[in-house]
Amino acid sequence: MTKRQRRTVIALAAFAAVFALGPAAGAMHIMEGYLTPTYCVVWGIVCIPFLAAGIFSVRKTLEKNRKTITLIAMAGAFIFVISSLKIPSVTGSCSHMTGTGLGAILFGPAAVSVLGIIVLLFQAVLLAHGGLTTLGANTFSMAIAGPFVSYGVYRLCGALKVNRKVSVFLAAALGDVFTYCVTSIQLAVAYPSEVGGVWASAVKFLGVFAPTQLPLAAIEGILTVLIVIGLESFAKPELKAVGFVKEGR
Amino acid sequence: MIVVDKLCYTSKLRYVNPYEKFFFAVLTLIFVIVSRSTAMGAAVIAMNSWLTVKKGGIRAAEYGRLMMIPLAFLFLSTIAIVINFSSAPLDAFGFRVGETYITGSYEGIERAVRLTVTAMGAVSCLYFLSLNTTMTDILTVLSGLRCPALLSELMLLIYRYIFVLLDTAYYISVAQNARLGNVSLRARVKSFTSLVQTLFIRSIKRSAALYDAMESRCYDGRIRVLKENRPADRKDITAIVAVETILLVWTVVARIGIIG
Repeated sequence: MTKRQRRTVIALAAFAAVFALGPAAGAMHIMEGYLTPTYCVVWGIVCIPFLAAGIFSVRKTLEKNRKTITLIAMAGAFIFVISSLKIPSVTGSCSHMTGTGLGAILFGPAAVSVLGIIVLLFQAVLLAHGGLTTLGANTFSMAIAGPFVSYGVYRLCGALKVNRKVSVFLAAALGDVFTYCVTSIQLAVAYPSEVGGVWASAVKFLGVFAPTQLPLAAIEGILTVLIVIGLESFAKPELKAVGFVKEGR
Repeated sequence: MIVVDKLCYTSKLRYVNPYEKFFFAVLTLIFVIVSRSTAMGAAVIAMNSWLTVKKGGIRAAEYGRLMMIPLAFLFLSTIAIVINFSSAPLDAFGFRVGETYITGSYEGIERAVRLTVTAMGAVSCLYFLSLNTTMTDILTVLSGLRCPALLSELMLLIYRYIFVLLDTAYYISVAQNARLGNVSLRARVKSFTSLVQTLFIRSIKRSAALYDAMESRCYDGRIRVLKENRPADRKDITAIVAVETILLVWTVVARIGIIG
């Protein structure tokens, strides 16, 4: 083989490997040790106010009704478990649900931010998705940015009287897309491109993760619609318990 | 079901004082990330693999398989770091596509190699902690480090209930498979939807039952659990201090090297 041919084969092999590995990437947790110490600390600090607000809100709920402690804990376990379920896909590859949208719609963004950091810690320790030093960055993208967008979109659509199915779909899908954008930007800020700086780098990260993340967002949106609409028809008491029905309409 | 959780209960280092393991793992992790030295990353991978496989008794094949988990992310992100789009090719390689070049520099490749090795070193620290320390021990350490009581109690409950819900999900999916619930895409979607819905309803029902159970055992707003007391071993501490001092000096030297 000439040098050029060898290069082409290597490039093609790498390209094929991306698509073999890609779907397994599932949720976009920044892996352990991938960020520089500065950004580990910065993203951690950015999360603190949200986390504090979340803890205060959970504490207030608990003062009103102590019984909710098990409910909140169960919600956390539920988010962990659905984020480990394989979602059905056409190719039979294994993508995982992120659960951000569904969690935010069912339990509200404040509770999800507290539960999110716990779930991410468990995912890091038990599943090696994410890590201890990247906990701050991952919490911001997955437990704060995503859920807040999901919930915001959901409430906005509610106020604008958009069709329920459409609003749930948009909430879940946009939450996922936003998480994916935030993670790409986090990576880009930490590793600006040699040519073109942060923005060029952001485009590259968005590009590499797009094949796995965009279909995932669409699938997850559809599944969330089916789940929420179904629950509304036969799980009224449970939805009332988590405060969903009262707030919903 | 969760491999790491099963393995950590069989580790031979399971009964070592959890604070020792926690501080060893976290300090090493910090030094690896701060120094970003390829050699230190490789040394840490070797040290942690030795500790986990030889001392902890985790099977080497299993350990290798677990180390592969973050590779997908590592691979994709590193591609994004190495490859550049530019109108002029950089020094390492370049392919011409239309008007622009897909190109990269030696400096970028070196940076990517360094990042890959040190990130894997960091992952080995995480695995040292999680494969040799049970989650309950980690929670003990966290509450010992003044983690808010609300968080540590929630963690305790969530950790317990993850397995209950995973079990439930597992049985439901077995039942669905047995009834051709995954025969077509349409069936898969339907099965998945009903799986999540049932899981939600079950978890809310269980949470009510759990509260009743806790209240009948005098729950008053605090969960009190007995802590196991495992005194720290002087020899271990000496070894940890020695290793961390070496890593500290190494980090300082590496940082000065990079700056100067």
